[in-house]
Amino acid sequence: MNALTGNSLKISRVNIVSKKFQRHSPSGNSVTLKSPNTSTNFQPIRATVTGGADSGETHSTVLSTESARDQLRPDMAASPDVTDGRIAGISAAIRVIPDFPKPGILFQDITTLLLDPKAFKDTIDLFVERYKDKDISVVAGIEARGFIFGPPIALAIGAKFVPIRKPNKLPGEVISEEYSLEYGTDKMEMHVGAVQAGERALVIDDLIATGGTLCAAISLLERVGVQVVECACVIELADLKGRDRLGDRPLFVLVSSI
Amino acid sequence: MGLIAGIMFQDITTLLLAPNAFKDTIDLFVERYKNKNISVVAGIEARGFIFGPPIALAIGAKFVPLRKPRKLPGEVMSEEYILEYGSDCLEMHIGAVEQGERALVVDDLIATGGTLCAAMKLLERAGAEVVECACLIELPDLKGRERLNGKPLYVLVESH
Repeated sequence: MNALTGNSLKISRVNIVSKKFQRHSPSGNSVTLKSPNTSTNFQPIRATVTGGADSGETHSTVLSTESARDQLRPDMAASPDVTDGRIAGISAAIRVIPDFPKPGILFQDITTLLLDPKAFKDTIDLFVERYKDKDISVVAGIEARGFIFGPPIALAIGAKFVPIRKPNKLPGEVISEEYSLEYGTDKMEMHVGAVQAGERALVIDDLIATGGTLCAAISLLERVGVQVVECACVIELADLKGRDRLGDRPLFVLVSSI
Repeated sequence: MGLIAGIMFQDITTLLLAPNAFKDTIDLFVERYKNKNISVVAGIEARGFIFGPPIALAIGAKFVPLRKPRKLPGEVMSEEYILEYGSDCLEMHIGAVEQGERALVVDDLIATGGTLCAAMKLLERAGAEVVECACLIELPDLKGRERLNGKPLYVLVESH
């Protein structure tokens, strides 16, 4: 991918953005983007890798096959200086909107990240560095915010991009996977023929909450014989335990929010 | 391409399955826009989200998603536009774009030009200058180009 041309954004620019997006919650307190030092919502921690339903803490994961390309390097999570600097900027660029889409929910809004070219580029770079030598031929992105992060990753690692969509959006023949919501069900669809058995895939979304949509996307890919190497999200809502719902499929996130 | 009840649907997903072709597509736009002082790339939900961000990243611009109603959290501005039957709305975050910024609007395809027109209006209401609209595909028979109020349109492929 081409590097940023021209202007380099300093960290102070991120602070200006955060002031602009100050928003007053119903109680009168203003909600600002969290800076790394004052964050109560976010842990602007280094990238984490865990696997397995029973893992309560982070550790590095080696996938079940033994070839070198499958190993996610144990030191990926422990590249302190550079990784921490980028993660802090990414975390600070995400804004929290209270009571959206309904009261009591704190919505993690990545659109402010997209307004910060350096932080957006760093986000993509962190994923690309992790996946570029892993023989991944498919990046599947979940509609709609997975469409923002998936294609730049796919382009950088030379993989196909496969959109996973809500019903009745994809033309032509599709396969469908139903998944549970809090009330009722929904479906995700993928084109027949987009992927081939034996391909190695990533699944990308902006955020993992309960893990329902990610699970549906994984199912779509596995049903046609694709190996899902990892799920990758910018944000994890750890309390909703979506990671557990993924079972033994690894999850990689940049920022974890309690 | 799919045939659905008289409409020939231009399906860009097969382009996305060909990494070289997808990369060439992005490169063509980036080469055109990289030295034009463009600070905003606005992409129209949802297929504009696929092409806009790679262009934005390559030219160092912000990416601004333009969305259907009630998808964007926080304060938004809305622009209504006419459909064949009824109307719809496009929304943009307040504060995403500043006065005087130079913007591109990106979508996969221009048909009647209704959504592109609404997108341009949102950006202009926020004080940005729309430098150009960029799409992969144009359906010239639907005359969308004329609906853009003289704003330039750049497309890679025309389909009659």
